[in-house]
Amino acid sequence: MMIDVNAYLGHFAFRRLRHNTAASLLALMDAKKIDRAVVSSSGAITYRNAQAGNEEVAEEVGGHSDRLIPFAVINPFYAGWQDDLKICHEEFGMTGLRLYPKWHNCQLSSPCCRELVNAATERGMVISIPIRVEDNRQRSWLLNIPDIPPEEIVELVKACPKARFILLNGIGYTGCPLGRKDNGLPSNYAIELSRLSAVLANELGQLITNLGAERVMFGTGMPFNYPDPALVKLEVLDASEADKEKIRWQNAMTWLRL
Amino acid sequence: MIIPQASLSSPEHRQHISRRALLKGSAAVVVAVGAAALPSVGDADSEQSVPDKSSCPQPKAKVIDCHAHLNHHSRSTWEADDRKLIEAADKLGIDQLCCSTLTPHWPATLDGFRECNRWTADGIRRFPGRVLGYCYVNPGYGREALEEIRRYTGDYGFIGIKLYNEYTCTEPVVFPIVELAIELAVPILHHASHSHYFVEDQPRMSDGGHLAELARRYPEAMLICAHISGGGDWEWTIKALRHATNVSLDTSGSVTDEGSVDMAAAVVGVDRLVFGCDSSMTAGVGKIRGANLSTQDKEKILGGNMMMLLGRRKA
Repeated sequence: MMIDVNAYLGHFAFRRLRHNTAASLLALMDAKKIDRAVVSSSGAITYRNAQAGNEEVAEEVGGHSDRLIPFAVINPFYAGWQDDLKICHEEFGMTGLRLYPKWHNCQLSSPCCRELVNAATERGMVISIPIRVEDNRQRSWLLNIPDIPPEEIVELVKACPKARFILLNGIGYTGCPLGRKDNGLPSNYAIELSRLSAVLANELGQLITNLGAERVMFGTGMPFNYPDPALVKLEVLDASEADKEKIRWQNAMTWLRL
Repeated sequence: MIIPQASLSSPEHRQHISRRALLKGSAAVVVAVGAAALPSVGDADSEQSVPDKSSCPQPKAKVIDCHAHLNHHSRSTWEADDRKLIEAADKLGIDQLCCSTLTPHWPATLDGFRECNRWTADGIRRFPGRVLGYCYVNPGYGREALEEIRRYTGDYGFIGIKLYNEYTCTEPVVFPIVELAIELAVPILHHASHSHYFVEDQPRMSDGGHLAELARRYPEAMLICAHISGGGDWEWTIKALRHATNVSLDTSGSVTDEGSVDMAAAVVGVDRLVFGCDSSMTAGVGKIRGANLSTQDKEKILGGNMMMLLGRRKA
């Protein structure tokens, strides 16, 4: 069993994505032996009204809910986000969020962002936060969106101890409190592995040592990324088979309450 | 950068990637290979494989990382980190690594790059058969840089030249280096990136357009454009190099964007792609594995094309 907590459907404003429909993503998942994937709208990253992207994802996922787990993209600075959250959760069956504070020009520390996190937590939704969408060196001339600094994540997990976070597309956790052992932070966050090293510096191995295998999850970033680098990381990782099973799917099952 | 702490591994947990696993995920249809000079390893369990019609056993094609680095000795853990590089190559099925050692600060001084080349030569000695050397120079040192290249390609068997960002590759100061590379028939791996903003800390950065211009000036040169996946806008770079037929594209870099290797193969052709990691090891291997290309095409990228470049060297 393999569950990918970091996948997407739809278009991205600055680059053509392949395998970005439900049918084509499922075909790619079949080829890579990935059973289930958490998906959200890649279009909603740049749509002004992110809810339109959620509607697209809900439509795409329909009929594939056994394999595709839809998450909502909510911009807490946009009018009607409370209505959108309710619709996404209750009508679309979206069991989690993806937040893009830098792309949506809001601060994780802002009252409305905290209000969204609390509202989602009350609904039992998990909140995933992509630290980046793509490498900033290849950014369009139109914008300059920084990665989310780790200190902003640290403040968030401390401020919202009842919330459950999955951090996506990040690296360098062991250089900040998030990836250190006995860091004094609540254990309310897990880390997805798509950008972590599994050899040389082996940050993935360090995180398993520091936080426990229960706090690390498999994810690919497809179709933004080739899924294979993440699969290779798991293959070469020096860890017990029991720990690898946790990372492949068991942790996702627990965190997503599947 | 964080230095890794004690390994978790026990021997029973150590994982390696087989050659078949490295190549799996190939396209469903294998295209016939025209002028491929390299033997094929085939993929015995794959439907994609072309049946081996030869009765003779075929020698194994090498996997060569065209873009690797040994660690500068100012790093306290350089020796252990060099060993980790070889261990990572072992795990990932990489046979040889084409390495340079770079100075920690740029522009490199004469003493700085001389020291680096000594250390690369030492790396070749420490890891026999695994490390191949690039001679790294700052072209601004003119005669001394040329002497350094002659010395290390001659006495120490280095396989090519590494140029970084001291000068844009179209500046005349670089031309004597290129002319010497042509004389010696060795490739130049040139640092490159194209961003849609000015990169302040690398004001003389070369990009694919510069390399295409240099290639037009020196059509006999064997140029390698470094890390298309980690060198800014890779779509721009690939398109800029479409017609520069004597420039190979190094697939290394930390960016694992889906479709990048496939686009490069479609636009410039498989024969001009050379596999590399530039220390992003699983990214480097995973991209090739994920590309929708035939097993034979992947073998070319993983080592065959680099072997062809290195095979042009004069005795």
